Amino acid sequence: MPALPDAPGRAAPLGETRIYLIEDDPTILQFVQQALLLRPQWQLLGQAGSLTEARQHALLSDANVFLVDLGLPDGRGEEVLRLLARHQRDAELLVFTVFGEESRLVGALEAGATGYVLKGCSAEELIAAIEQIREGGAPISPLLARLLLKQFRSEQDSLPGQTPVPDEVVLSERETDVLKLVAKGYVNKEIAHKLGISPATVGTHIKNLYRKLAVHSRVQVVRAAQERGLL
Amino acid sequence: MRPLLGPLHALARLPAYLWAAVLVLGTLLLLALATRGGSVPGAVMIDHALVWPDAAVQTATEVGLPHVWNNERRDWDGTATYRMSLPPALAGLAMENGLGLLLPRVGVRYRVEFNGQEVASECWRRGPGYCDAGIRSQFVQLPRALMAPRWEDNHIDVQLQGQKLRISGLSPVWVGPRDALYQRHRWLDWWQVDMTWMVTASATMMGVLSLLIWLRTGERLFGLLGGGLLVLTTRLWLSTPVFVPGPFVFWDYVHKLSFTWYCGFLYLFISELFDFQQGLVRRLVVAMMAIGPFWLALLEWTANYQLYRWWTGVIVAVCMAALLAVIHRARWGMNVNQRLMVVVGLAVMVTGLRDFLVVQMGLPGDVDIRWMTPGSLVLMFTMGWVLVRRTAEALEQVARHNAELAHKVQAREVELHAVFDRLRAAESQRVLEAERRRLTRDMHDGLGSQLVQTLNLVRASGQLIDSAAVAAMLNHALDELRMTLDSLEPMDGDLPTILGTLRQRIGPALQAAGIELDWQVEDVPAVSGLEARGVMHLFRCLQEIFANVVKHSHARRVTVRTWVDGGQVCLSVRDDGVGLGQAAGDTWRSGGRGLGNIRLRAAEIGAGVFFTDAAPGTCVTLRFATVGGARTGLAE
Repeated sequence: MPALPDAPGRAAPLGETRIYLIEDDPTILQFVQQALLLRPQWQLLGQAGSLTEARQHALLSDANVFLVDLGLPDGRGEEVLRLLARHQRDAELLVFTVFGEESRLVGALEAGATGYVLKGCSAEELIAAIEQIREGGAPISPLLARLLLKQFRSEQDSLPGQTPVPDEVVLSERETDVLKLVAKGYVNKEIAHKLGISPATVGTHIKNLYRKLAVHSRVQVVRAAQERGLL
Repeated sequence: MRPLLGPLHALARLPAYLWAAVLVLGTLLLLALATRGGSVPGAVMIDHALVWPDAAVQTATEVGLPHVWNNERRDWDGTATYRMSLPPALAGLAMENGLGLLLPRVGVRYRVEFNGQEVASECWRRGPGYCDAGIRSQFVQLPRALMAPRWEDNHIDVQLQGQKLRISGLSPVWVGPRDALYQRHRWLDWWQVDMTWMVTASATMMGVLSLLIWLRTGERLFGLLGGGLLVLTTRLWLSTPVFVPGPFVFWDYVHKLSFTWYCGFLYLFISELFDFQQGLVRRLVVAMMAIGPFWLALLEWTANYQLYRWWTGVIVAVCMAALLAVIHRARWGMNVNQRLMVVVGLAVMVTGLRDFLVVQMGLPGDVDIRWMTPGSLVLMFTMGWVLVRRTAEALEQVARHNAELAHKVQAREVELHAVFDRLRAAESQRVLEAERRRLTRDMHDGLGSQLVQTLNLVRASGQLIDSAAVAAMLNHALDELRMTLDSLEPMDGDLPTILGTLRQRIGPALQAAGIELDWQVEDVPAVSGLEARGVMHLFRCLQEIFANVVKHSHARRVTVRTWVDGGQVCLSVRDDGVGLGQAAGDTWRSGGRGLGNIRLRAAEIGAGVFFTDAAPGTCVTLRFATVGGARTGLAE
């Protein structure tokens, strides 16, 4: 296994946005290239059309934004996300999805994704999504918020009463409020107004939620392994 | 061992009635041996006496014993005196404990004088109550002190008091050694009193038991037997004591009625056991049991014993008819229980015949001992045995039926499960099919039509393709598809989430039209009817409403609000544009097709829909039933 470069210690400025695309559809590559014309200072460092290529090149890439398609010809995009989350810990992992299937998105978020963008969006929308995630925010839908609320609640309820739960996997009160409002259809600006915070902070909360979900997922895996005596 | 067990097994396989026949024959043989003589060693039987009918008549006549006054004088209730001399054969015999006198049957009240001195009496000085000394033998000691010096001067006077409606008279008397006669008296007491008490106790026990079983099972056979045995108990109880407190008429009535009813119950029991149909004899028996109380009451009222003779004749006639019916029925074959009853019934009839022949016809045998009493006991036990067998057979049959039933139920259960599985599979298939049709329809109406429009646009444009218009149409198509897929996500009737999801689709259109969206969606209880199909209906409703706002309302602001009112969840979409029916080309605002579509779709999800003028603008309100609550019915 080739040696991996150390992950950057802090988020790079937007001007240093380096993108890597993992997608087998050449029209999407074309679309991304077209979109980047709107931000000449951003770079497209490379593209992998399969899981194998992604393993070989993407993990070694210096990109700080990865656009990942979930349906690769030789495997699942979630596996790529899991690898990237481990080796590119400070990079943003954006999932490319056609329909925004929330049930599948939860799986992707658990694998390490920090946001998603719909295929078929305009170039401006793609740029806005990348900027949002680079600025610390994250996209979310009401249905996804509802699923996340259920997910966190059921997993916390399933834990034994005395089991200590690490803070990094428990929803804070504010995060819960944000999720509830998102689930009711409110947009970030309205949520910020209702909670008396800035829209950017709302985005930060959402992004934190995704991170917690990924950590939570890893904790669950470790716990399951311990219960089976594997660890 | 096997050669020995073989005959035993063969014996065990013999039917019960054959065993019963053997036992009954053995019993009759023992009875014959026990009662073959009736004589007392050293004693002499006196079978003639001089009699004075009453005090006024001085002329004595000689009569033979037994002597029954009711045969001579109907309804006799006078007094009479029988005089007998000591038999010369006893003169000069040495008797250690003196002489004794045995009166096997005397009644109904009597007094004995020896040489003019009273030595014994029974009921003589009692009042007019129920009293009968004749039901048991009477023993009297003749004191030596009263003996006349000359043997031939000794005489015994037995004085009787008659009772209307009772047989009065004197049977042959025995005179002889005191000890021998006392032994004979005890022997007769055992047969006449102790044996009767045994039968009474058995009848009581079996009667109560039968009635309890009848109450439990409702089987008429047990009720008839229980009734018969309790009636028999009453009769037997009245047959053992010499004196019973209370008016004679009442006890005599009960005594005679109990006999009538006993005969009736016995026949009905036999009839039930032999599965007789409702024939003439059965009706006769029931009539006899119904008329009996009145006839006997008349008898007691008129004190006419002849009425009882006639009534006895009726009972005998009915019983004979019943006997003939049994014989007639026997031609069709009988089961083991019926044969058993016939065998024992015949044996009981033999005992009655023997009593008649010995007592009335003078055939050899002990006249003072009746075989009918032990015969009744055997009959009773046989009836009990038959019932036990019948009950056991019934229980076995029930157990067999239960087993068969359990087997059938199990088989049916398996079949039912199979049918249920098939139904479930069919239902599942049906649901899948319905869902497939719905999706197909939605795709056809939404995505399909959008793609067709795009295709037509591209074709119509020729070489000059309006890429912006094509892109807009394709975007629209994509949104249609996304909306269909959104409706398939599990949302559990969560209206705010459903609305939020829809907002993602309609928000850009409102924004493009410059209409501000005021989102006032609050938590509400889960709404029923919003499964995938319901969600799609709601999407379409709201899509229609928002499209109308965008196209026709000229509104600047639209407010979406949810709340709970009167147990119902409410959703309103309110704009600040022109009101109902004021916009040009506004179809649903003027009651066109759009309005109808909204109403139809709302009705599909059980929601009520209301259009109101919001002044300014229009407000459309949908009212939903909550999960577990009542539906609101069809759209308004």
